[in-house]
Amino acid sequence: MKTQNRRNFLAKAAALAVAGSALPGAAMSFDGRGTMTDEEPPVLRSLAGEVKKYRKIDAHAHVYFTKGNFEQVIDIADRLNIEKLVISRPMVPGGKGEPSEFIDCNNLVLKAMKQFPNRFFGQLTLNPQYPKESMEEIVRCTGEGMIGAKLYNHVKINDPLFYPVIEKFIDLKMLILMHMGIGIARIQYDAREPKGVSIPENMVEAALRYPEAKFQLAHIGGGIDWEAACKAVIGVPNIFVDVSGSNNAAHMVDFAVKCIGVDRLFFGCDNSFYQGVGHVLGANLTDADRNKLFFGNYNKYLKSIGRNVD
Amino acid sequence: MLIDVNSYIGHWPFRRLKGNTCKEQVARMNAAGIDKAVLFNLNGIFYKNVQSANDELFEALKENSEYRKRFIPFATINPIYSGWKHDFEESVKKQGAKGIRLYPLYHGYELSNPACIELAKMAKDHKLPIAMALRMVDSRPSSWLDISKEWALKDTLPLIKAVPDAKYLILNLANNSNFGAFDKDELSLVRKTQLLMDTSGRMVMELADMMKNYGSDKFAFGSHYPILDPVTGLLRIETLRPEEVSNADKEKLCYGNAKSFLGL
Repeated sequence: MKTQNRRNFLAKAAALAVAGSALPGAAMSFDGRGTMTDEEPPVLRSLAGEVKKYRKIDAHAHVYFTKGNFEQVIDIADRLNIEKLVISRPMVPGGKGEPSEFIDCNNLVLKAMKQFPNRFFGQLTLNPQYPKESMEEIVRCTGEGMIGAKLYNHVKINDPLFYPVIEKFIDLKMLILMHMGIGIARIQYDAREPKGVSIPENMVEAALRYPEAKFQLAHIGGGIDWEAACKAVIGVPNIFVDVSGSNNAAHMVDFAVKCIGVDRLFFGCDNSFYQGVGHVLGANLTDADRNKLFFGNYNKYLKSIGRNVD
Repeated sequence: MLIDVNSYIGHWPFRRLKGNTCKEQVARMNAAGIDKAVLFNLNGIFYKNVQSANDELFEALKENSEYRKRFIPFATINPIYSGWKHDFEESVKKQGAKGIRLYPLYHGYELSNPACIELAKMAKDHKLPIAMALRMVDSRPSSWLDISKEWALKDTLPLIKAVPDAKYLILNLANNSNFGAFDKDELSLVRKTQLLMDTSGRMVMELADMMKNYGSDKFAFGSHYPILDPVTGLLRIETLRPEEVSNADKEKLCYGNAKSFLGL
């Protein structure tokens, strides 16, 4: 193959950098002595072009009660070409999680869905310590178009209190997204976490008990021990994992693909939008796999409930 | 042109890194169109005698003339360990370090420590920037053997106040870095200081606003790779809109600010 000298290569790189910076992916072939090898030179990909190239469904996003928040979320989604966002409003950490609170949270999500019907999919929240009100919320919110649940840290996902909720979601064929706590990265549970917070092992127990249910393990970039989380769910086919969170540790996505397989991973940001997009673009994936992660996998789920995009 | 002001070789003892050699870093830089990168050796965090890490860094650069052209090496100095002034002489005058890297949280000293202040004055006299990160990794999922403390931007002030005419490279703005975190005098000091912050940290969410508040000369592209992914630090710049940041300011973020700060 034709050898490209370094000067020509850098001239090309500089030209691309003017139009929009490039990004790594295909590693440069370099022989360690400062000269190019005869291998095919890598294709420099424009970063701005890459952002536009991939359709994206953010499988883990939130809206807030602050004025103008919906517009802010849409604005940054537009910047990063995120077409759809699956939103929820979890309850205040450490609170009692009474019905009035989860109903208010769900009403906020419904309001956002109505304001931006082409951008937001909604997820309801609940607290199984209030079974009657929780079951009523499931009926009300899915009836108004929500597509799943986002659960928080009042009760562990494998607690029997959750069984009726899981069974209801099996009937609906919908996903349950469960927040994950920092857990045991430092041997002891993080002092900030409430007793009811779930860790991946709790989700595995629930998933094995209910193989027909669909679970989404939240934010491996959200401060949890992501290596432990990925290893915990190896071979558990009804657990999907979202790669959202503020911790964009290098090669996290590659590790998740290696452990779990790309088909069970969802792109998400948990409102850390740059990291969410950045670490998927920086992962060593084929174009087809990046498309699956950014869009195809979650759209497949949406298709299973008749809500797919296009 | 692109200059990355925050990259590493070396090992992280609690997680396997990839891309942590000069060869792999150059490959990454070539693929991303990055011309030069400030390079630190992670082993300087963990070796008690940090000069061994500096020796490793400069030995690695000697392997290839391309590495010497592409990397801007910073030497790690621990001002509370024996022989640190010798390490300074060795790494700066003999080995050619272009800046000094501090790890106060890992090496166990306060920025107000007289030896640290003396080191900053020495760096200033040699016109060398002093680099510090608010954190190396997200402390939440890190190992039980790792430190758990992280800094906010304000925690860098004791050294800046003590040696205000030195140059500071502040990396990985992972915690409170909002201009609201400072009182009026502190903010004024930060604005006046020769201080450059990189774009790798999670708190760099609204870069255009941060530039307005701290100054457009205060930020530069940095990746913190291979601890963090190689793309996000640049994505924050690339997605700025023309109405937010002029092309000239975008170029300053990509290379201009780094170039003048580092004296390239």
